[in-house]
Amino acid sequence: MSGGARLENANPLIFQRTGERLRTANDEDEDVADPIDDREIFDLIRSINDPEHPLSLEELNVVEQVRVRVDDQENTVGVGFTPTIPHCSMATLIGLSIKVKLLRSLPERFKIDVHITPGTHASEDAVNKQLADKERVAAALENSQLLEVVNQCLISNARTG
Amino acid sequence: MAAGSALLVGLVEEFVSGQQDSKAADTATGLKAGQFTILQLVEALGLHLASSQPQTRARGVQLLSNVLQQCHGDLTEREVDVLLAFYENRLKDHYVITPHVLKGMKALTKCSVLPPGSAVSILKSLFQDVHVQVSTSNLPCQLKGLGADFVFGFVQSVDGERDPRNLLLAFQIARKIIHGGYDLGKFTEELFEVTSCYFPIDFSPPPNDPHGITQEELILALRAVLTGTPRFAEFLLPLIIEKLDSDVQSAKVDSLQTLTACASVYEHKELAEFLPGLWASLRREVFQTASERVESAGLAALSALTACISRSVLNSDSEDYLNVFLDLVLKDCQHHLCEPDLKLVWPSAKLLQATSTASYRASHRVAAAIMPSLIEQYNSRTQVSHTSQLGLKSSEEDESVLLDFRQSLCSIVFSALSENSAGLQITSLRVLTALSQQTVLLLESDVELAVDHLTKLILEEEDAKVSLAVVECAGALACLHPLAFISKMVPRLKGEIFSGGLGSKEHSQQAVRQRCLTALAAVSSRPSVVQESTPVLLQVLTSSHTGTGSFSLEEVISVCHNLQRIAEHAQDTEETGRVFHDIIIPRLLGLALQAASATHCNPVIIDRLTVCPGQVEVPQMDRLLLELEELSCTCDHPFSYTSAAKCYAGLVNKRPAGESSSPVAKALLLRYHPLSTALTDKLFSLLSDSELGSIAADGFSLLMSDSQDVLNRGCNADVRIMYRQRFFTENSAKLVQGFNSAAPEKKSGYLKALSHIVNYLPRQVQLTELPALLPLLLEALSCPDQAVQLSTLSCLQPVLMDPPSALITQLEALVGRTLTLTTSPAMKVRIASLRCIHALSRFPEHEIMPFRARVLRALAVPLDDLKRMVRSEAVVARNEWFLLGSPGGR
Repeated sequence: MSGGARLENANPLIFQRTGERLRTANDEDEDVADPIDDREIFDLIRSINDPEHPLSLEELNVVEQVRVRVDDQENTVGVGFTPTIPHCSMATLIGLSIKVKLLRSLPERFKIDVHITPGTHASEDAVNKQLADKERVAAALENSQLLEVVNQCLISNARTG
Repeated sequence: MAAGSALLVGLVEEFVSGQQDSKAADTATGLKAGQFTILQLVEALGLHLASSQPQTRARGVQLLSNVLQQCHGDLTEREVDVLLAFYENRLKDHYVITPHVLKGMKALTKCSVLPPGSAVSILKSLFQDVHVQVSTSNLPCQLKGLGADFVFGFVQSVDGERDPRNLLLAFQIARKIIHGGYDLGKFTEELFEVTSCYFPIDFSPPPNDPHGITQEELILALRAVLTGTPRFAEFLLPLIIEKLDSDVQSAKVDSLQTLTACASVYEHKELAEFLPGLWASLRREVFQTASERVESAGLAALSALTACISRSVLNSDSEDYLNVFLDLVLKDCQHHLCEPDLKLVWPSAKLLQATSTASYRASHRVAAAIMPSLIEQYNSRTQVSHTSQLGLKSSEEDESVLLDFRQSLCSIVFSALSENSAGLQITSLRVLTALSQQTVLLLESDVELAVDHLTKLILEEEDAKVSLAVVECAGALACLHPLAFISKMVPRLKGEIFSGGLGSKEHSQQAVRQRCLTALAAVSSRPSVVQESTPVLLQVLTSSHTGTGSFSLEEVISVCHNLQRIAEHAQDTEETGRVFHDIIIPRLLGLALQAASATHCNPVIIDRLTVCPGQVEVPQMDRLLLELEELSCTCDHPFSYTSAAKCYAGLVNKRPAGESSSPVAKALLLRYHPLSTALTDKLFSLLSDSELGSIAADGFSLLMSDSQDVLNRGCNADVRIMYRQRFFTENSAKLVQGFNSAAPEKKSGYLKALSHIVNYLPRQVQLTELPALLPLLLEALSCPDQAVQLSTLSCLQPVLMDPPSALITQLEALVGRTLTLTTSPAMKVRIASLRCIHALSRFPEHEIMPFRARVLRALAVPLDDLKRMVRSEAVVARNEWFLLGSPGGR
């Protein structure tokens, strides 16, 4: 996938990393339930590696906390991501990485919707459709080459926490 | 003699044809006893050495070498000469013989009578005929004579080597060659090439590597070679620049660290040519870095480079490279500082900072160039991040550099202090502290203004972080300018403490008082300030006792705490000691004994006494001890009697010699006092008591832990080194034995005690002791007591990082029990068990693959845990386990 020596977007803008989430007194209290919130979802996906650059999705501003919507009661999670350039061929792969990361990290009760930020990609609809199709996502992960690339996007992420 | 040679022939025959290895030792004994000579041995071997079978020849040489290993001390120079010639010749023989030949040669090189020049010839033949590396490092130093030939021989034999053991050896030899002053001659580049082709090292040892060579060792060994001599500079620097382009993070870090290392060896003339290239690479790494490791390595390298160029002595005709280099740096960084777009401001600031910390000249240059623009920045646009850099930067500069900017800096700091933003205030406080460290920078009037600002902040600022920064800053300033604080701050604070306006704002009033008290304690480091501040605190205590003041209990306790803080931090001079001895202690004691009717705070007051430095003799010690003993045994208020017991323990610990609760036992244990054994034995016997067992087990935790309040070094307690290890070695056997013999329902007490003890042991000791204790610890995981589960999990986790083989055989039990604990009612147990499961994912893949599906299924549950902290541990662990055995995973 990323084998080509020529990068599509060789000189991307780099954004500041967010700091660690601050611990509150409630976090330490056994009896208080912490709801799953936007920041928690964002923390799950912000350090996913970009397939092209040695940078995280957060640093490339592909994911932002404002584009994360979670409803703990209704069991829904929505994540919008913004490819760095409108013709980015990595869009599907990035979306798939986000989806896989969330599937592995969230309770089963959640319905996960990963989509491209409206108006930021040439083939937005096609990519969104692929990502929303459970069967196609499952089939993609059967492909060991694709799974390898996805795992590599997630691997350093797991290492740095 | 005839008998001797008959014996010899027999021995040789049995060794070579009869394959009896023990005959070698017999031969050596015979030789030593003088029954025959070494030359006779060679003669007797003659037939076998000339055999057509390589195995027979090998066996013959083996006997000779074995004998030489034991008898090399008895040889004469002539004999050695002959034997060496023989061995050198044998090197050309069949390869099965080579190992024995080498062994024999090694034995010969240990001879004290090694003929001059022989080392050279040994090496020559070694390089010529041997195709495996051998340890040449223990050969004598005649090698230098061999010069370039030796280097060349070395290069040839290392070339293409792949075995990490040989590589490590080769790097060490290469380093010796470089440092030993061997003549590298025209082979400098060859030597560099043959070693640098391994750079950067990418080596992961096989899972069951018996040699224990790590990547780190190889990296360091190679770095020592590459950075060993400036003569490599022309080859190494381009290589580093090239490797910095690599995508592999570890390669970048290694390159940067190597660069840092060589900057300490090189001089400007080696670096000059490559400075633009190096700077471009460094800048890129810091500007676009993906990881903090690369960034900090890059900054360190930049500092080292700058330091290197600054250090160099210039010739009259050479350029000033420092200036050239700094021009480069400033040109690329300065304009970013003024850009409204903040993206590159931080990296630029960091680069400039790294440069300016390197040397005086560099900091002078950088400060002169950027200070005006920073100040202008500040004036035109009050932005937190800009001034933050300013703050960080100025703390690094030298005084004379800043002298020019003193006026404007001070006004910036003071105007920033009155801003509303907490971040800005904290930063400016930090700058103020930094400025104050350089005495010439702050004038008397500035200090007074600063004290005013600080006092105002103490009284008015609600934000906890800012308050903390204010207190720190005040503490630092008070060390240098006590007078201003005595005359301005202390009276203001005192007034505020006693103003006691109750009314509607009672809560905020209390908060203000708290801050005043803390600030008083913080500024009391100089004796002169202590003299002023402690009476204020004592006055609070007195008035609370007589009931005249309106102080709450918490406030009184906080007064005591602050007194303690002063006692701990005040400079330990005679003067301070006298203040304590003459004023504070008598007053406190008076207060305490006067009201011994056990109100809460009495023990707290007495507590503080135990903090006093040992040399200050506490008056009325005996009476106090009696009082305390009675208090601890009769009082039924739990807080009072524990503090009393602690106090008692604190005092006993400090008594010169001679003086039954756990704190007392601990006091003795810390000093490694003989009496402690009796007390711990008592505790052991209590473990099997059905009612007291659990409390007694917790007593062990008390024995092993670091005491927060009284029995620690801060309170000047007498803490002997390694008391924990000693306690463990003396008592672990008793514990295991007790566990084995106890009735099933009483075992939990022992498990609890064990987990407490093991938990407080240093890591190193834990690792060595764990295999033996493992069955017990696994047992402890299923013990219902949450405290036991938690302390067992926390001592298992570090061990799992580097699993001993004993653990692997117990994997089934370990995985099962830790998974069960992920649903424990206690949050801490859930977190600890998830960390253990995370650590388990690093075990050898084939061992844990069978558990993968089960673990993934079980970890789906804590993903929906009530607590976020548990969920995030579960996420990390589960993602690791997903990657296990998956393509692209590990």
